[in-house]
Amino acid sequence: MSIVSSRYDIARFGMERFSSSPRQADLLIVSGRVTHKMAPAIRQVYDQMLEPKWVIAMGACASSGGMFNNYTILQGVDKILPVDIHVPGCPPRPEALIEGIVRLHEKIRAGIPPAYEIRGVAE
Amino acid sequence: MSNARLRLAFEAVPGVVETREAYAETTLVVDPARLVEACTHLRDEEGFNLLSDIAATDYFGWGEPGVAGYIGTAAGRDLHEPGSQGLAQVPTPKPKRFSVSYHLLRVGDDPARVRVQVWLDEGEAVATLVPVWPAADWFEREAWDMVGVRFEGHPNLVRILMPDDWEGHPLRKDYPLGGEPVRFSGED
Amino acid sequence: MTVVPSTRIYEGTRIPPRVPTILDVDPHKHDLGDILRVNFGPNHPSTHGVLRLIVDLDGEAIAGIEAVIGYLHTGFEKTMEEKSWWKSVTYPARIDYLGFHANELEYVLAIEKLLGIDVPRRATWARMALAELNRIHSHLVWLGTAALELGAISMFWYAFDDRDAVLDLFELAGGTRFHTRYVQAGGLAEDLPPGFTDEVRKFCAAMPKSVDEYEAILDKQKIWLERTKGIGLLSAEDALALGQSGPVLRASGVDWDLRKNMPYLAYDEVDFDVPVYANGDVYDRYKVHMDEMRESVRIVLQCCDQLDEMDGEPWIADDRKVVLPPRHELHTSMESLIYHFKIVTEGYRVPEGEVYVVIESPRGEAGCYLVSDGGARPWRVKFRAPSFAALQATATVVQGALIADMVAVAASLDFIMGDTDR
Repeated sequence: MSIVSSRYDIARFGMERFSSSPRQADLLIVSGRVTHKMAPAIRQVYDQMLEPKWVIAMGACASSGGMFNNYTILQGVDKILPVDIHVPGCPPRPEALIEGIVRLHEKIRAGIPPAYEIRGVAE
Repeated sequence: MSNARLRLAFEAVPGVVETREAYAETTLVVDPARLVEACTHLRDEEGFNLLSDIAATDYFGWGEPGVAGYIGTAAGRDLHEPGSQGLAQVPTPKPKRFSVSYHLLRVGDDPARVRVQVWLDEGEAVATLVPVWPAADWFEREAWDMVGVRFEGHPNLVRILMPDDWEGHPLRKDYPLGGEPVRFSGED
Repeated sequence: MTVVPSTRIYEGTRIPPRVPTILDVDPHKHDLGDILRVNFGPNHPSTHGVLRLIVDLDGEAIAGIEAVIGYLHTGFEKTMEEKSWWKSVTYPARIDYLGFHANELEYVLAIEKLLGIDVPRRATWARMALAELNRIHSHLVWLGTAALELGAISMFWYAFDDRDAVLDLFELAGGTRFHTRYVQAGGLAEDLPPGFTDEVRKFCAAMPKSVDEYEAILDKQKIWLERTKGIGLLSAEDALALGQSGPVLRASGVDWDLRKNMPYLAYDEVDFDVPVYANGDVYDRYKVHMDEMRESVRIVLQCCDQLDEMDGEPWIADDRKVVLPPRHELHTSMESLIYHFKIVTEGYRVPEGEVYVVIESPRGEAGCYLVSDGGARPWRVKFRAPSFAALQATATVVQGALIADMVAVAASLDFIMGDTDR
């Protein structure tokens, strides 16, 4: 949330518009831990997005389950969604997330297709 | 309120089986059949108007030697081995498998806290406290969901934190932590 | 302690009779065939995290509501049972991720109570200062997000700018913006850096002006008043019956703050007031949050004065069985080396017992029920989450509100889903 604030300001990169509706969004940032109860809801949100679409897994918990290896936390959101960028940290600093977004921009400019075209979800 | 006055007040609570004082906290162990009576007395006569928390605990495996933890060798480690740092004694045995602790608070001119505790075995149920303090609703649902303690008369005893179709009660000691084994890069 | 009689707010009780946390639709309305069931799903921009509200609407008015939680249940309590006492301190901060210091503090206070060790006063005052800074941080985020949802979008940017200033102070002390894991059983993990109190004083000089600015924007703003005054009423009796605490209880007319009524740390040695408002609506909860920010600044300044006097004093207890010895001792003392080895490999042991420690977190009464079996790991940790209790009041406060008001009311209860679901 801090990246939208005036100090870290992702508006510099053109990313300040938070879309409330998945139908009008290009990027899904999964921030924080994902539980098994929440996983179908996130998958539904992802499916509602129109292509091309990208996913950033923000934080250690979204990338891999983080410090929680137990009965309720999905060990990485890449088990249900194809993820383009993983941003580590618990919690990741705003600068880290901005770095992730900038690298995503570079990936797109370099012509690398979104993750759903080159890989699926983890096993 | 001085400790002496508080102790005298607690003697009048119906259904108390045992009173324990430790760490400046009072625990009233109550007969599960008389729980509602005891809590109504505490709410009306003693003024404990806020139910702070309901905590259900599973004591399965309490005090058994050889409980292995992640600190130790692959074969496990006996935490009760003498010679380890201090306190090499087996903890005092508990009467039954589950305890449900109700933490009450008196919000008023004479603040006080008390813990009301009931002991239950597997399959035993205890009366619900929703008619006494409506705040008990979700706390009892959580105790049911996590530990599997039944509350008789609860208007809506369904799972609250786990998905509705989940099987098992996660906070029981015989329920595994779950999760996945960690894979390291470089090994196959 | 004053309690405002309920007739000032509404007559009798509004707690739903069948299930206290579910507002049932009047069966007559069902017969008229006008009820629309809407799902405010777990993924919604205005529900402050993954809360699911199943709302029955009669036109625009709310006829029934049920809150479904559990979408962020992380299994903290079970995970902490497998970690040693020292390592498990990293977990509580992530429960209420805005009031992180409060959660770490209540857990560590519970461990210290069982251990019976004395915490040096420098650590106590530093913990108090950080707890109040944490309160300011939490209230700023609350203000920013609540105002954002009601349409006062610029408040979000103003509040977050100040919030970044608070997080800078946490970074100065603890090394990271939040989830600092700065408290440790026995005191603080490390001493406060030199110049910390000067930076805090600079922040505190600017903060009251910021709060004045926020109040100037919102206090008399017509739209804000219409959207918050008289909405989301909760009487004092209902609030106590539903286990409410913190700003929600104080906005309903009950003068109750654990820092004043059951002081912990050194709160009985500082001078501050507790804001209490009598109308029990969203506006009063907003006013309580604003006034609390000012009072927190007062407390922090007093803490800074005390900390300057205590410069050079130890910041952690001397008990080598629990606390790591200072590194320079490891070169000369054999016992220190053994203690260090024991603590790092096995971890320290906490005597058998059970305690319940409660503190006033930014959301209200946050407690930790800790059961130890005398071993190196906790047997049972249960966190009393103020947000869990706050969400139970949803069915009561939302009565008489329209669908647009529901967002305001839900925001005013100040819940965090991590805290609710643990």
